[in-house]
Amino acid sequence: MAGPRRLNEPRPVAVRAAGDGTPRTVGPVAVEAVREEWLVEDRWWTPRPLRRHYFELALADGRALTVFRDADDGRWFRQRA
Amino acid sequence: MRTYVRMEIACVIDCRLTAPERPGHSGGLRPGRESSPDRVADPVAAAEATEAMARRLEGIGAAVEAERAGEIFFAVGGLRGLYGGDVAGVTREARRSAGVPVLIGVAPTRTAARAAAERGEVVVTPERLANFLAPLPTTVLPGRLGEPRRAAEALVVSLERLGIGTLGALRRLHHDQMADRFGPLGLRALRIARGEEEPLRPRVPHEDLVEEIELPEGVAGSQLDRALGLLVDRLLAAPARKGRTLLGVRLGARLCGGGSWSVDQGLGRPSAAAGVLRRLLVPRLEGLPGPAEALRLRALGFGPPAADQLVMEVGGSEPRRRRLGAAVREVRAAQGADALLRVLPVDTGSRVPERRDLLTPFPEL
Repeated sequence: MAGPRRLNEPRPVAVRAAGDGTPRTVGPVAVEAVREEWLVEDRWWTPRPLRRHYFELALADGRALTVFRDADDGRWFRQRA
Repeated sequence: MRTYVRMEIACVIDCRLTAPERPGHSGGLRPGRESSPDRVADPVAAAEATEAMARRLEGIGAAVEAERAGEIFFAVGGLRGLYGGDVAGVTREARRSAGVPVLIGVAPTRTAARAAAERGEVVVTPERLANFLAPLPTTVLPGRLGEPRRAAEALVVSLERLGIGTLGALRRLHHDQMADRFGPLGLRALRIARGEEEPLRPRVPHEDLVEEIELPEGVAGSQLDRALGLLVDRLLAAPARKGRTLLGVRLGARLCGGGSWSVDQGLGRPSAAAGVLRRLLVPRLEGLPGPAEALRLRALGFGPPAADQLVMEVGGSEPRRRRLGAAVREVRAAQGADALLRVLPVDTGSRVPERRDLLTPFPEL
């Protein structure tokens, strides 16, 4: 190990969303419910601002999963919030 | 198929501690007999007296089994050659060494030996065993069946309801009937009635190391703690310890209002550190039921001698740091440099999850 590394880095995930941006499936698994959602905006004063739309989901296979959509490039990630 | 080794078992009963059992009751005196004034009623004192007698019998070479207060068994076998070549010589020597009034009986099983002792000095030969056991009441069973005694007594009551009041009647029952009706306890009772008991389990002789300290009247609280500290120091300083560690101790007290109290304390690992003993024993003093007039501390077992004494608790942070450093180096040497990491909280309140913690190498100590 070269040096310190961050814990709980975001990992890319395949999400299909509805027109309003709400996740419908995560990979092949359908989303049963959106338990909570929130916005995180940070570093807006820098050239690399951070804007994320988090969703805490209940999946059809019984798992609970937190994903977010990066507002800048539209990519989806999963992360333990 | 079990194999039972027939041997000559001597039962030595301390007259001050036990009374012959009367039918239908556990313990107690026979009608018409009165408790003698020198009878020992206190269980802790009885255990001490039994221990003392066991040690005296071990002194003549007997390998004793002492599981109940006031009752000791040993195999006569090898002692014959030492004391005249016959059973009478051995029992004579046992009676002399016991130092207290005792009853002695010799028989092939514990039950028969105990019954023989209660009848005065009687030798029951293997040929006479069946006839000797037959008239004995089933009330002798609870003492031999082991724990739980309540279950054993319930068995005797059930047998009496079925009209089985003697070992002779019990012996005639079939093995399957007993197993079916009374389970393992019933089978054990049946084996006893048939004179089939397990061999003796003699204990390993051990040395007695005990210290006692008399307390002034009204000692309590921190004074009592100091007295215990002194007692610990005296026990550890006793020459008989010969530098060995202790495995456990028994803390006892003679109470001002009569009676006594004792508690056994294991040490977790062999130790002869006064601090360890004090830390373990001081909290036990809270269990004292009343003011004590004397405290007693007995070593319950010895471990190996230890010059570099182990302690259960490392005092101060430096030794702990040193040992932790050694452990870190050892793990890295065995598993690689990345084997030991730690989570370093950096911004635990951040709304961005990946900024909260870092995974870093565990620092060298």
